[in-house]
Amino acid sequence: MKQICLPGLYNSIPAKKWLVILTCFIATNTFAQSDTTKKLKQVMVTGNLAPKVETLTPTQQLSRTDFTRYNAFNVADAIRNFSGVNIKDYGGIGGLKTISVRSLGANHTAVLFDGVQLNDAQNGQIDLSKFNLSNVQEIALFIGQPENLLQPARSFASASVLSIKTVKPVLTQSKLYQVQAGIKSGSFGLANTYLQWQQRINKQWAIIANANYVYANGRYKYKVDGDGSDTLAVRRNGEVKSIQTDAALYWTKSDSNKFNIHLNYYGANRGLPGAVIFYNPYSSQRLENNDFFVQATYERTWNSSLQLLLNSKLSQVKTRYLDPIFFNQQGFLDQHYIQKEEYQSVALAYQLTSNWKISYSTDASLIKMDADIYNYAYPSRFTLLNVLATNYRKGKWQLQGNLLYTYLKETVERGSTDQPRSVLSPTLMATFKPLPDSNFEVRGFYKSIFRPATLDELYFYAIVPRAIKPEFVKQYNMGFTWTKNLNNLLDYITLTTDAYYNDVTNKILAVPNQNPAIFSFSNIGKVAVKGIDIGLKTQTPLHNNWRGLLSANFTYQQATDKSDPTSSSYNNQIPYTPKNTLALNAGVNYRRVGVCYNQILSTGRYYTGNNTPDYFVPGYAISDVSAAYKFVTGKLPVSASVEVNNLFNENYAIIRSFPMPGRSYRLSFQITI
Amino acid sequence: MKQFQLKTLLATVTIISILFSCKKDKNVLVDQPVATAGVYVLNQGNFGANNSSLSFFDYTAKTTTSDRFNAVNGTKLGDTGNDAKIYGSKMYIVVNVSSTVEVVNAKTTKSIQQVKMFNGTVGRQPRYVVFNKNKAFISSYDGTVAIMDTTTLAIEKYITVGRNPEQMVVSNGKLYVANSGGLSFGNPDKTVSVIDLNTLIETKKITVIANPVSMAADSYGNVYVLSAGDYSSILPGMTIIDNATDAVKTTSTTLSGAYGTSIVVSGDFAYFLTSDNKVVVYNVKTQTVAKTNFITDGTAIKTPYSIAFDSTTGEVFVADAKDYASNGQLFAFDKNGVLEKAKGYPVTVGINPGTIVFVNK
Repeated sequence: MKQICLPGLYNSIPAKKWLVILTCFIATNTFAQSDTTKKLKQVMVTGNLAPKVETLTPTQQLSRTDFTRYNAFNVADAIRNFSGVNIKDYGGIGGLKTISVRSLGANHTAVLFDGVQLNDAQNGQIDLSKFNLSNVQEIALFIGQPENLLQPARSFASASVLSIKTVKPVLTQSKLYQVQAGIKSGSFGLANTYLQWQQRINKQWAIIANANYVYANGRYKYKVDGDGSDTLAVRRNGEVKSIQTDAALYWTKSDSNKFNIHLNYYGANRGLPGAVIFYNPYSSQRLENNDFFVQATYERTWNSSLQLLLNSKLSQVKTRYLDPIFFNQQGFLDQHYIQKEEYQSVALAYQLTSNWKISYSTDASLIKMDADIYNYAYPSRFTLLNVLATNYRKGKWQLQGNLLYTYLKETVERGSTDQPRSVLSPTLMATFKPLPDSNFEVRGFYKSIFRPATLDELYFYAIVPRAIKPEFVKQYNMGFTWTKNLNNLLDYITLTTDAYYNDVTNKILAVPNQNPAIFSFSNIGKVAVKGIDIGLKTQTPLHNNWRGLLSANFTYQQATDKSDPTSSSYNNQIPYTPKNTLALNAGVNYRRVGVCYNQILSTGRYYTGNNTPDYFVPGYAISDVSAAYKFVTGKLPVSASVEVNNLFNENYAIIRSFPMPGRSYRLSFQITI
Repeated sequence: MKQFQLKTLLATVTIISILFSCKKDKNVLVDQPVATAGVYVLNQGNFGANNSSLSFFDYTAKTTTSDRFNAVNGTKLGDTGNDAKIYGSKMYIVVNVSSTVEVVNAKTTKSIQQVKMFNGTVGRQPRYVVFNKNKAFISSYDGTVAIMDTTTLAIEKYITVGRNPEQMVVSNGKLYVANSGGLSFGNPDKTVSVIDLNTLIETKKITVIANPVSMAADSYGNVYVLSAGDYSSILPGMTIIDNATDAVKTTSTTLSGAYGTSIVVSGDFAYFLTSDNKVVVYNVKTQTVAKTNFITDGTAIKTPYSIAFDSTTGEVFVADAKDYASNGQLFAFDKNGVLEKAKGYPVTVGINPGTIVFVNK
């Protein structure tokens, strides 16, 4: 584009779009060990029971013991196999990774950290690569929303919810503390160390503290396709240094009366390798992050069945973008962004009768944004959410519904802003179990939801005021879940299938213009998404210490542009949306050894709205393998693993001009004291 | 229709004469006026996507090659092709972010040389090219104008000008360079550098409306400068410079062009695009607006992104960038401002078609 668009693009893209990668991680327990535990707990059954399948809305989850099986270094890696999920990965150890569920884009997925949303009002998307897995207990993706009624209003306010739950202290009087230390190394010059310390103070109080440090030079080889070169190039300026710490204090009077408080810090400094530009391989931009939050949760259940959930959070997200060579008057760009949020949530639930529950949640949030960019508006956004929800069970039926009322108000120090906005968003969900003796359930949901324009969309270099309406989505879903516990060749089979339709209106699209005075965002988009998600999971019983595990997820998505019938992209598949994705994960455990194979197949996509061969990004098939071994040395449990990613060294990119690494290795070692 | 038939006939004759290029037919060619073989459209592509492309519309075959640079050379232009011009037998394609000038054979598009525009490891970000006496002058965002010999393709000198120079024009033995300063938000440059073409030295800077981008010159001693303003208090507008005294003759905010598109002058008329999607015809002899919109048949162009005038036919060409994200279109209007549907227009071109170049047979 011409001239002035450049500053906007330069800093809007790098400042937010590429972030770190951190740690990798490896489960504390390899699966061999964990399955042994599981078996002991379930002595009364001969085989293993199927994992519980959430039936009301499509739900997929992974726990700590699964991470190694998926060669996962961070949260983004862990969930890439989920059906309906498209991870936008800019490649490399410092590359931004965001989630798009059912083609709705990252802004429609709320990411929860121990139940409280990690909110980013500035650009509306969370970089999942910055969450290492060393203190993660469980990751779950809820399409629609979680089934639980007692939750903050924000959990009801997105098209999907990605929930990250951290490890909680599990100590007893005989084991007053536990220390876990790990190290990882491998390709990209990776050096990752982490430490977790759990300490029991007394019967009610316990602390858990985590620190995770990552250094990587970020270099990898890639093939440039189209510039006539026949040698491999090396990705440079991708080095990363990051530290993530989380300290939490837990108070547990009983299961129905508990409290915790988290202090969390993430700091990172990295180079931004940027898009691969033909004939100009140099880049020197840098990004620094300093994020801090404190969050507290109190949960109480009274005998009357009244439940209370309080959540409070204060957060500050600081970003610095530096381009040391920029042809403005100073000769460089050095921009600072600070986003501060105060958040409070109250949720109440009450069991009216044994089969009828109601709840009410209210969340208030105040966000202030500061940036040292030209003509900035310094916006503040106040959001108030109120949700009334109910769940009712009768015979073969379960019905749930809620009504969300959103109030949004913005103020600016410069320029103008839109009127306050109020939106009512209903959700209806139902399951039906036709056969009493079978775990076969039919489900359906309808959810109307929206996402407001981000503060960047509204105010980033907004020379002319931008009036942007929220982006609305109507989600329709029909599917079934089926679980069968077996007692022969297989322990169990679970199968879930959902067909869905998403109707997106007022889609917010960036409209770059020759003239930055008009360079803007507008609500011109309409997208119709039709898709099918299928998930299958099974495992064999333990036989002579051998066990096999298999899971497969398939996604079909037809996401077509319905914006403008006269446009050449009308009825074309929207950018970066593969029609078919298949993720397979197969593992074999023998005693203390586990070997896993992960395969992701994606058909080709287009990187523009025109589905012509000029703009085609080829599909890919990526295989990863991992081997993990757990043993005890001097009574201390030790686990070690080797991972090989992109085993067949396939040259591919998920985002055009952002090549993914070829074959890479990772070694991990962890000891628990 | 009449014009179409004449054109077809002419093209057919020319093709036949090329196909059977017997020596005795040579006179036929010489006697004919210069005929256009087709039109190149340089598409900028999307930022950071290396998908700048060179569409070619063949007048005779009425077919479009979506990226002739890639089809002929097997490589791609890279990121953000910003300008292309033909001088002699060569075409010079200026690629902004890739920081290259691709020199190709104008007729065949075959690559002659890729000239890298770097200062150490820093891409200079070249923007536009103009020519004078076997030298190419290339403006770059790093505040320089490079002088390249059109025979050796070697860069002989860099002249320091103002901030973020954009378009240039040669007039009265001088090179005028629009110093936009457009990369400093809120603080654009507001000068035009004057370079003496004999000494190749910047002799002065003329103050114009802030953020000058587009330039053209007429045969009456006027240099036209379209500025974008500062997007808030300073309005966009046109500055007219006297090429004898280098004094500013007129500044006007009623005359203003669409951001970054070209103003073209042919004979007594200048043509430029406005921000409200019109093609203004300006009489340079009388210094008055001749037509507020050249297009007479109501053809709607969503996002006019570049303009060209074919002086051999009197046709006006406008490229439409649509939504800046999908393929654009090329429109050609006859001298009466009517879309030439019979010739196959509009023609689909690439993303962000920013430059139109006619190539002769």
